Amino acid sequence: MNAARVGVITFPGSLDDRDAARAVRLAGAEPVALWHADHDLQGVDAVVLPGGFSYGDYLRAGAIARFAPIMTELVAAAGRGLPVLGICNGFQVLCESHLLPGALLPNAGLHFVCRDQRLRIDSADTAWTAEYSTGQEIVIPVKNADGRYSADAETLARIEGEGLVVARYLDLNPNGSLNDIAGVRNEAGNVVGLMPHPEHAVESLTGPSTDGLGFFTSIVKRLVNA
Amino acid sequence: MSEQRPNVPGEPEDARRPRADEPSMEWIRDLKDDADDPELHAVDPAVSQAYGAILEEDEAAGPAAESGTGPQPAVPAAESGPQPLVRFEPGQEPAQQQTSGEHPLGGFGTGPQPVVGTGPQPVFGTGPQPVVGDRPVAGPGTGPQPVVPAAEERPGTGPQPVLGDRPVAGPGTGPQPVVPAEPEPAGDPARDFVKALAAETDPTVTSPDVQAPAPAPVPAPAGTDTVAIAAKTPERPQPFAELGMKDEEYQRVRAILGRRPTSAELAIYSVMWSEHCSYKSSKVHLRQFGDKVPQTDALLVGMGENAGVVDVGQGWAVTFKVESHNHPSYVEPYQGAATGVGGIVRDIMSMGARPVAVMDSLRFGPADAPDTQRVLPGVVAGVGGYGNSLGLPNIGGETVFDACYAQNPLVNALCVGVMKHGDIKRAVAPGPGNKVILFGAGTGPDGIGGASVLASATFDEESQAKRPSVQVGDPFMEKLLIECCLELFHADLVVGIQDLGAAGVSCATTELAAAGTGGMRVELDAVPLRDATLLPEEILMSESQERMMAVVEPAKVAAFLDICAKWEIPATVIGEVTDTGRLVMTWRGETIVDIPPGTAADEGPVYERPLAPPADLGGLQSDTPGRLTRPSTGDELRRTVLWLAGSPNLASKTWVTSQYDRYVLGNTVQAMPEDAGIVRIDDESGLGIALSLDGNGRYTRLDPYAGAQLALSEAYRNVAATGARPLAVTNCLNFGSPEDPGVMWQFSQAVTGLADACQYLGVPVTGGNVSFYNQTGSTPINPTPVIGVLGVHDDVRRRVNMAFISEGATLALLGETREEFGGSEWAHVVYGHLGGLPPKVDLAAERALAGVLVAAAREGLLSASHDLSDGGLSQALVESCLRGGLGARVTVPGDGFVALFSESVARCMVAVRPGSEGRLAALCEQAGVPVSQLGVIGGDSLQVSGRTAEGEQELFSIPLAELRETHESTLPSYTS
Repeated sequence: MNAARVGVITFPGSLDDRDAARAVRLAGAEPVALWHADHDLQGVDAVVLPGGFSYGDYLRAGAIARFAPIMTELVAAAGRGLPVLGICNGFQVLCESHLLPGALLPNAGLHFVCRDQRLRIDSADTAWTAEYSTGQEIVIPVKNADGRYSADAETLARIEGEGLVVARYLDLNPNGSLNDIAGVRNEAGNVVGLMPHPEHAVESLTGPSTDGLGFFTSIVKRLVNA
Repeated sequence: MSEQRPNVPGEPEDARRPRADEPSMEWIRDLKDDADDPELHAVDPAVSQAYGAILEEDEAAGPAAESGTGPQPAVPAAESGPQPLVRFEPGQEPAQQQTSGEHPLGGFGTGPQPVVGTGPQPVFGTGPQPVVGDRPVAGPGTGPQPVVPAAEERPGTGPQPVLGDRPVAGPGTGPQPVVPAEPEPAGDPARDFVKALAAETDPTVTSPDVQAPAPAPVPAPAGTDTVAIAAKTPERPQPFAELGMKDEEYQRVRAILGRRPTSAELAIYSVMWSEHCSYKSSKVHLRQFGDKVPQTDALLVGMGENAGVVDVGQGWAVTFKVESHNHPSYVEPYQGAATGVGGIVRDIMSMGARPVAVMDSLRFGPADAPDTQRVLPGVVAGVGGYGNSLGLPNIGGETVFDACYAQNPLVNALCVGVMKHGDIKRAVAPGPGNKVILFGAGTGPDGIGGASVLASATFDEESQAKRPSVQVGDPFMEKLLIECCLELFHADLVVGIQDLGAAGVSCATTELAAAGTGGMRVELDAVPLRDATLLPEEILMSESQERMMAVVEPAKVAAFLDICAKWEIPATVIGEVTDTGRLVMTWRGETIVDIPPGTAADEGPVYERPLAPPADLGGLQSDTPGRLTRPSTGDELRRTVLWLAGSPNLASKTWVTSQYDRYVLGNTVQAMPEDAGIVRIDDESGLGIALSLDGNGRYTRLDPYAGAQLALSEAYRNVAATGARPLAVTNCLNFGSPEDPGVMWQFSQAVTGLADACQYLGVPVTGGNVSFYNQTGSTPINPTPVIGVLGVHDDVRRRVNMAFISEGATLALLGETREEFGGSEWAHVVYGHLGGLPPKVDLAAERALAGVLVAAAREGLLSASHDLSDGGLSQALVESCLRGGLGARVTVPGDGFVALFSESVARCMVAVRPGSEGRLAALCEQAGVPVSQLGVIGGDSLQVSGRTAEGEQELFSIPLAELRETHESTLPSYTS
């Protein structure tokens, strides 16, 4: 049986693309490098949009990357159920692409914040969180300048009402996100966006824990069982 | 707004977008089409609502939001205000004066340097030449003979630049700093003329393999100073003094050229011979690093290149260097610090390495000083804003406060990169016919004169007026440059490479040419400009960031440009290597530079400035801390522990370091606040490196020879404390004015001390940086050599960190504690006292201790390890307890005050794994390292008892929660 193939898109200014590829590999899948300027998803089984500052995020985080050629294919494929995980800048791109509700704004403290963050998984029935249990607490790094999750009251009520919050910050809300929201999903559960970085918690040597590995093993298990 | 977004208020969005006609950016057309799509105008209500809120906040924030400590506009202030133009028309006043200072490019000169004069002033006499050591010295009159350029050189006959099939000018891809419409300088016909010309010469796009058609001859504006004119007008006065050149230096240029220099040549010599670029005051001392280099096989590339390279085993090589950006960071904290990081990263890139981490050593005035509250947040945001956006983890450094750095902060940035042995690149331009390619950002008016005007001028009230001289960084462009360079290296398309930093094109062309075949022809018109009105002198001196220069074989130019296009990096052939021994530059068809490049790059003046110990040194040294009242009771000791733990220098630096990404690249094994940062190089074998950056200005003020050795000792010990084998050294030497004999004495003492200690410890200096003129008025900063030590972990999985995590583990103290309080944190914090002598240097003990620590880590004997330095044992205990969340019960022998707060060297606190106590004792005995038991780890408080002749009694106990509150609340209280 061939290993699952998980694409990692590199935009100009993507920074955590190698790390996402490493996490995919450690989870037992084959990482496939995807290039922003291509129109080809190379037949991958799932896609990770990594962290970074695409196009410098000089306009608005994720606002330019959203128009990259590969996003046309990605948005269409996500609509057909392709599992997509956006981490940090990837989450911002997914919101800008309207694949996920809401928006990420500059941190409440107006500083870049890097810390080991405790989270609670609130939705364990997505393509990317099946290996966790709802209510499970994990510690993974958060590091961003524009991580304040925001949505209008109606959208927020819908997100909460439909159980679309994937993870929440515990102890301390590092960026002023509404309702301590650290990550959200779409209704189908194939698209997940997360501000903290699970790909930086996949080895005890380099991360605060290995709690992040579950995001990647979740998708690998699902693809293998599919 | 976030630090990550150097947005330009009021700038039309389109101006920052890539140009729609760029081949690689076709999709942007879709974006423009989208603008006409009514459906896409339905903005997500969440976005509009939230941005409305931000705008309100910004307005509420008012002027503070624009204070320069937050996000900086991408527009160089220079472009909207009066520009510090450097022009050379007679009678015109240059905007700035004074020269020399620090330089991010050159490394320390190597090889025999011509020495001019032996006194404070260079002498260009014709008598016997001074000789330094046994080296032959080139002197006046022995330089190249006057060369009169061929008179028949005319517009259109020079080499034509080959233009790539991509934009050769303009902002290119990323959101570039954009030049706003600038009011026309009135009454400047030359400038107007150039502007008119520029409008006609829109950069044409041609295929790289097709020679561009000769552009229509564009006459140079009237008043352009050409070589021919210079030869005919020897008496024309030139503003060399305003450019910081001494008369003797100017006369020497005339002697070299056999005529007066053109204004462009004067620009080149003035920046290349500035202190910043030429190391003219420091060279005679820095030579010791080479003369005393220890026997080692590790050194692959020594001083003189952009950065030294060392062998770390398994076929891997590491390059690292630290550099200052002090003065710009005072004037414009965010951009000064950001571009400091950018500059050192390009140095590392130009060695062929992938940058893998950065560190920063920061020094500010008192934490509660208003100006510190301006400078500190901006510097931290700048270091973070640039490094984070580049995707380089920040793994450590220092943040120190002292009144001597008020109005003269130190911002020293280190970058480390890794490569395979075969991938090392050099800054050379060999092979006549090879093309010279400038790639990266466009050249704008930022930082013009920065090298010689800004970086060196001693601060005074006018410094605020220098804002326009600070460069503006674009980390997005630099990130693309990193990836682009690595792909170019991988494809073997580069013969030589040099980054552009201080002195920009002047420095890169002269240094590349001087280190290569010896000649180069450059078409300055081909340099892509962000401001088409720049004059050649400005193009030569511009310090626009994110630019690199490569030497490429003609057959590989097309492939080179293709890779640049993939990364959307503008790249332009601007010239070619020649074998004429001359650097010749043309502009508008006129020859404006024709010099032997070595005379500018390598043969600058060398000064042996007078040295004398500062007049107050004797008084300082005799004012020992012995007269200070010491804490003695348990309660007094307890209060002192907390006082120090919460003092700005020893308090938690999380407020700073949480603004830095320490995780990106996924190889950070440990970072601040650990003794040393550790980065894994090889996933499989676990090969990795440890780095520490340390300095102590107070120690160095009291005894500069010892102070430099103490900084080295601490960095060396920090690296060893993690279990890494110390291997090599870099340094950033921050001092006052070299024209002050006291400062120059401090400098020479410090360099000698460092060179001697490196030789003894067997760790070569691989490169570094000198920053002079760090003073306010006539008061210099405490001399502050900042020393970086690189160590190797054969397997990073065996590293040891400082955290107390093993309940019940035995705590031991390695090394000997003496009563040493001169320059100590205790005297500084409690009494503001600086006097006496610093702790005694003991290099033999350092080496022995390092041997024990490395062996103990390799054998897995330790569960924690923390070096003792500032604040002594007390501070080490506080940090280790808080790091691991476990307390300790400790018994100190003798005088509890001395045991807790002395700063004796060559000491380390270790937690021993159960059952390993005997083996550790044996290692210590073998190495001659004293070892004593301190206590055990456990509980939720730090309990300290004293042991005297009368027996053992508890001195004090501090709950960890109280320690944490004290340690962690200090910086936020000053910075919020």
